[in-house]
Amino acid sequence: MKKIRIIVCAKQIPDPEAPLSDVSVDAENKEIVVDAPQVINPFDENALEAAIQLKEDTDAKITVLSMGKKVSDTVLRKTLAAGADELILLEDNAFEKLDSHSVACVLADAIRKIDKYDLVLTGRQAGDWDSGQVGLILGEMLSLPCISLARDIRIADGSVAVKKTHPEGYERVRARMPALVTVSNEVGELRYISRTRMLKMLRGAASISSWNSEDFDVACESLMKAEVVELLSPSDMGRDCRFIEGATADEQAEKLAAVFMELR
Amino acid sequence: MSPSRIMYWKIEDIWIFYVLAALATVIFLTGLAVHIRVWKKSAGCLDIPFSKKGLKRTILDTFSGRRILQGEISAGIMHLLLFWGFLSLFIGTSILSVHHYVISFLKGTAYLVFSLSMEVGGIMLLAGTIWALIRRYIQCVPRLEKRLEDVLVSVWLLLAVFSGFILEGLRLACHQPSWGAWSFAGQWMGGLFSPSMAEAFYPSFWWGHAFLTLSLIAVIPFTKLFHIMGAPVSIYTRESVSPVIPDIKDGPGEFNMEFNLGDLIFFDSCMRCGRCVASCPSAGAGEPFSPRDFIQAMRRGLWQKHFPSGDIRFLTRHEESKMDESFWYCTTCRACLEVCPIYGAAFEAIIRKRASAMEDGVRVPKLLNQTLEKIFNYDNPWESSRRQRGAWAKGLDLVDLTKKGAKAELCYFVGCTTSFDDTAQGMARSVSKILQIAGVSFGILGKKEPCCGDIARHLGELGLFTEQMDNCLELFNKYGITQIMTSSPHCFHTFRNEYLKAPFKVRHYTMVLRELIDQGKLFFKKGIKADVTYHDPCYLGRYNRIFDEPRQIIRMIPGVRLVEMGHHGADSLCCGGGGGRMWQDLDGDAKMGEVRIREAEATGAQILITACPLCRIMLEDARKATGLNETLQVMDLNELVLQALEGADAQKNSNPDKNGIYSYKEKQK
Repeated sequence: MKKIRIIVCAKQIPDPEAPLSDVSVDAENKEIVVDAPQVINPFDENALEAAIQLKEDTDAKITVLSMGKKVSDTVLRKTLAAGADELILLEDNAFEKLDSHSVACVLADAIRKIDKYDLVLTGRQAGDWDSGQVGLILGEMLSLPCISLARDIRIADGSVAVKKTHPEGYERVRARMPALVTVSNEVGELRYISRTRMLKMLRGAASISSWNSEDFDVACESLMKAEVVELLSPSDMGRDCRFIEGATADEQAEKLAAVFMELR
Repeated sequence: MSPSRIMYWKIEDIWIFYVLAALATVIFLTGLAVHIRVWKKSAGCLDIPFSKKGLKRTILDTFSGRRILQGEISAGIMHLLLFWGFLSLFIGTSILSVHHYVISFLKGTAYLVFSLSMEVGGIMLLAGTIWALIRRYIQCVPRLEKRLEDVLVSVWLLLAVFSGFILEGLRLACHQPSWGAWSFAGQWMGGLFSPSMAEAFYPSFWWGHAFLTLSLIAVIPFTKLFHIMGAPVSIYTRESVSPVIPDIKDGPGEFNMEFNLGDLIFFDSCMRCGRCVASCPSAGAGEPFSPRDFIQAMRRGLWQKHFPSGDIRFLTRHEESKMDESFWYCTTCRACLEVCPIYGAAFEAIIRKRASAMEDGVRVPKLLNQTLEKIFNYDNPWESSRRQRGAWAKGLDLVDLTKKGAKAELCYFVGCTTSFDDTAQGMARSVSKILQIAGVSFGILGKKEPCCGDIARHLGELGLFTEQMDNCLELFNKYGITQIMTSSPHCFHTFRNEYLKAPFKVRHYTMVLRELIDQGKLFFKKGIKADVTYHDPCYLGRYNRIFDEPRQIIRMIPGVRLVEMGHHGADSLCCGGGGGRMWQDLDGDAKMGEVRIREAEATGAQILITACPLCRIMLEDARKATGLNETLQVMDLNELVLQALEGADAQKNSNPDKNGIYSYKEKQK
């Protein structure tokens, strides 16, 4: 069987699980200030895990693509430690704060340069803005069959068979490769990368290339920035805790019902 | 005629016996060599450093059976009978060979003494074997398994000894010697046969007995009887079992993640007595984990890896295989080591197993994966911000040792759980107030306080642990910290015993309080009238043998009466929070904490005291879950001490009696 080439798109974002006290809204500059470490978008980690599981079953090569104004290779080397074969960082000032369409444009151009691939995997959405658009737009731009929200991915006879998550279960979908699949968290978390393994990856030689806008054919002038119209802090919900006392359960229930009536 | 025995009486073709004996010896030695080869192959070496202490312990333990007697006298006596019976018969037979082949000396009185000793040895072995069978199959002691080799070995032993007595009886029935009374059991047996019958049966019984005993020796390495050879070695190598900490500076990932030689000898020498299962709080709470099954699974795994035919023992397959997933259940409470006759530290082997799972990455449960990421990113497992670390100290006016010019004699290392958890934060505040009352010069590290590494260490994330250790050492060095007091026994143990070097003195707060009381700096003006019981935290008690200090402090508080739970001291149960279990979601029939809280309730005490933030949280949760709200209060020792120093306000409605003693509500029926 021939070697399958898988491309995984991974976005670097501030830890979406950061403690709330480390997150604040700068309404004036329309920015969310997160004082937390940068991590790989958890859904993209799911996509990477899916790719590694495919690599365990078949002969495959995994290329990770990551794009931004500044991409940290100490964050993204985690993908190599996990089992990806090559990492391509797309870095350019022009790639800052792009809208989903433009992000897909850049990724599509980079993937065209890579040329040979069978499967493109992306996370279902990114944990920072949760738009969930890049994957599908990218599929459209590359004219690939697209399957979204995968919970299970298998490859056989030149096609990809996916279980697509539904609210009431899943749907089986098959597509000829090359294809694009957006991966959902049901695939499973990325395997744990121990610190010794990570340090080995950080200190050793690794297959990492860095491309800026001149290294591949990307039309920078057509890229559009995402515009934040307004950014507000969530209003303080407030909490009110009352203890309902009563000698019997019936009495307590009656008083509870009275409180509900009062609040209605 | 002086008393003696005719060797090989009525036995022809003795060469067959010699061939059989040689065959048995060869099989025995081959089996032994195979064991040693597997040890060497899996550990990479056979280096066992000489240790005088180890030798002394081995001799004492082996011959006195003290570890087996400890805790279960009937099992201990049974084993002593088996051991001394077996040994005396073995030595006796060897003496007989010397007498026959080298120098003939068993005549007259010497023979009579010899004969009597063999008689007593035989009876001991017989009694021990029957007792063992009764314990396992009639009394059905819960911790004993009933697998094929268990019945096979015992019955084989029984037949070998019993046939020996019949043989002796037949011989005495024929010869009717005047000294027959020295072999009283044999003589009684001989009374059952007529001389002619005895003479006819003797040769066939001789060959039968010879076959049974020789084959018993041959099968030693192939059955649980191997512990005869392995157990002393395991007892001897106890010290060489040291923590494996990788040195990430010289090539990460290069260190040996496999088990060490001590583990391998322990696995191989385990004869499944099940004391670890009986003492394991996880197994006791009905969780799908058992140290014995883990050890057997690891033993099987090693043999499958390093021995062509898979396993040397004839053990039927058991539930062990699932142990590959179950080792996350272990709370590393150390209870199994307390009771293991061969000092097997199953929890240490489990940590090594976890370490290899960490490197592999795939088998790490989701919640642990997330917790370790949190520890790495935020230096605590509680999903809290570093900046909130000192928030509990607000309003207490404490010295922050990381601020410029700040100085104090003692550094209070609060720890992650005590810093962030709402329930445990009370401990930090009360211990700080106590130190202030005692006038101790102390400070905290505020938001710069790192994680000590306990969780990473005991979950097997040794790389992360090493980084955390380096962080802590660097920080202590930077701020010139030489005296540390911890709230958590986990931080205390990690600093004291797990750090490769510790250029500081570390004490748990119970030790500090005890000293302050001795120095007269703390004085209990007010009393508390309450019955309390004390739960020993594993990492304070079993790991660091601090059993007395907390109890002494409790007893010094006027009005307080200490009642002990069924399990206390070295035998204490675990709350279920150690070894990373606090951050896992694993279920059993009951929670360990609930088992413990019910035991506390049974003492009739109004307050359950502990001295660890994890125990404090687990037991408090268990109290709520079991609905014991009204009857039992969970407190940390320093919370109780502070009440006694300030005058209790816990029982707001009650007033002190004329002696200034506050009274706790009597337990409600």
